Amino acid sequence: MNSMGLALAVLGAVSASLFAGIGSAKGVGLVGEAASGVVSVDPNKFSKVLILQLLPGTQGLYGLLTAILLLSRIGVIGGNAVELTTAQGLMFLGASLPIAIVGLFSGIAQGRTAAAGVGITAKKPEHNGKGIIMSAMVETYAILALLVSILLIYNIAI
Amino acid sequence: MGGTQYAVAVGAVKAMENFLLSNSDMEQLINADTQADFDMILSAKSTENKTLSDVWDMLKSYVGDSRELEILLYRNDFHNLKAVLKAMISNRSPENYFIEPSNVTPETLEEAFRTKNADILPDYMRETAEQAYELLTKTLDGQLADSFIDTSALTAMQNSAGKYGGDFMRKYVDLITVYADIKTAYRCSKMNKQRAFLETAVCGSSELDKKSLIRAILSGTDGLLSFLEHTPYAEAVGLLKESPAKFEKYCDDAVTELAESTRMQAFGAEPLIAYYIAKEAEIKNVRIISVCRESGAGKETITERLRKLYV
Repeated sequence: MNSMGLALAVLGAVSASLFAGIGSAKGVGLVGEAASGVVSVDPNKFSKVLILQLLPGTQGLYGLLTAILLLSRIGVIGGNAVELTTAQGLMFLGASLPIAIVGLFSGIAQGRTAAAGVGITAKKPEHNGKGIIMSAMVETYAILALLVSILLIYNIAI
Repeated sequence: MGGTQYAVAVGAVKAMENFLLSNSDMEQLINADTQADFDMILSAKSTENKTLSDVWDMLKSYVGDSRELEILLYRNDFHNLKAVLKAMISNRSPENYFIEPSNVTPETLEEAFRTKNADILPDYMRETAEQAYELLTKTLDGQLADSFIDTSALTAMQNSAGKYGGDFMRKYVDLITVYADIKTAYRCSKMNKQRAFLETAVCGSSELDKKSLIRAILSGTDGLLSFLEHTPYAEAVGLLKESPAKFEKYCDDAVTELAESTRMQAFGAEPLIAYYIAKEAEIKNVRIISVCRESGAGKETITERLRKLYV
């Protein structure tokens, strides 16, 4: 059994959840700081700023989804790990990189945008939706990266 | 994470900006029939931040110690230094002359002079305190000591803004310095002050060079005005000729306009500094209305004197 191939594929799953998770943690944390500031002055705005805080959290979920799909594809989930060549392992590692890298950076960028949106909610709560839309635009690229990662994971021949 | 400083404080400040008094609130205050109405309008919109000390305490509670924000209080610190020095020389109590908020407590200032130990003062005012004391005790010239301390305050602001401040703080300090220099220059030219005094009283900045300004002052008031008219501050100089009060208003408005440039910023010290400036203008306006109402000034006069608001 070529354990190197399997190890590389598992490394891919780890990267997807790790880096996208870091992106989300940073993003959600930043929005949380800005939102706490607003809520400390006006607690009534909690529900509105909470939506903004949730937005950068999706990258972490995409990373988790990618990791589960990858681990399931190579049989690690279920206990029947398939035998992979080094080239196949590298392909799985490569397949996880779009969501790992885009998830990291888009999570942080979305956090910044959503935190700025918290400012809109603080000053003009009726325009809260605009802040949400602007933050959601960043999400597009995380979704695209997720699609590429999923397509690759399902189309690598094993 | 670079560029995302003070996210909590900025969030809080953005929410608090909703409680700033607007132009229509000012109008209502001017038109209030009785003092009770006046107080009611104020209390309807006021938050916990009624005074600048409240604003400062609030900002500190969110950001902790910030060398950049502390620059905002340097002028109060140096004003209090003047108060302590003068009180010491004249053997009077300085308490009524202190301005709050300040970085250095009046008690610390008093102790520094009482024990002749300037080491307990922050580094930006240590040397000034020692030199001002020497200057005042040697010359007994209160005006010279005042000018020296005022200039030192501006220099300390410039130095600290260069060290700890961002672009906005540097622009703010430059603006304050330029208008202080123009005011000093105009007064000194009217009083025919000599070069030695001017060297102490004029601060100078990247916007208005000290040497050129002193040369212009020494050439007389007309010479000074024609020199200033060729700078970006010609409009301010025109107002200075009309009335010092109009010039003061112009300077305050220019600072508020500078603060407005930070409206779009979601992070950093700038929105916090802008809020402090906004509250300063608001409190000044409420005071102007209050004093004018007491003295029976007309609505038009009051409106003319009001400062531009941030909201």
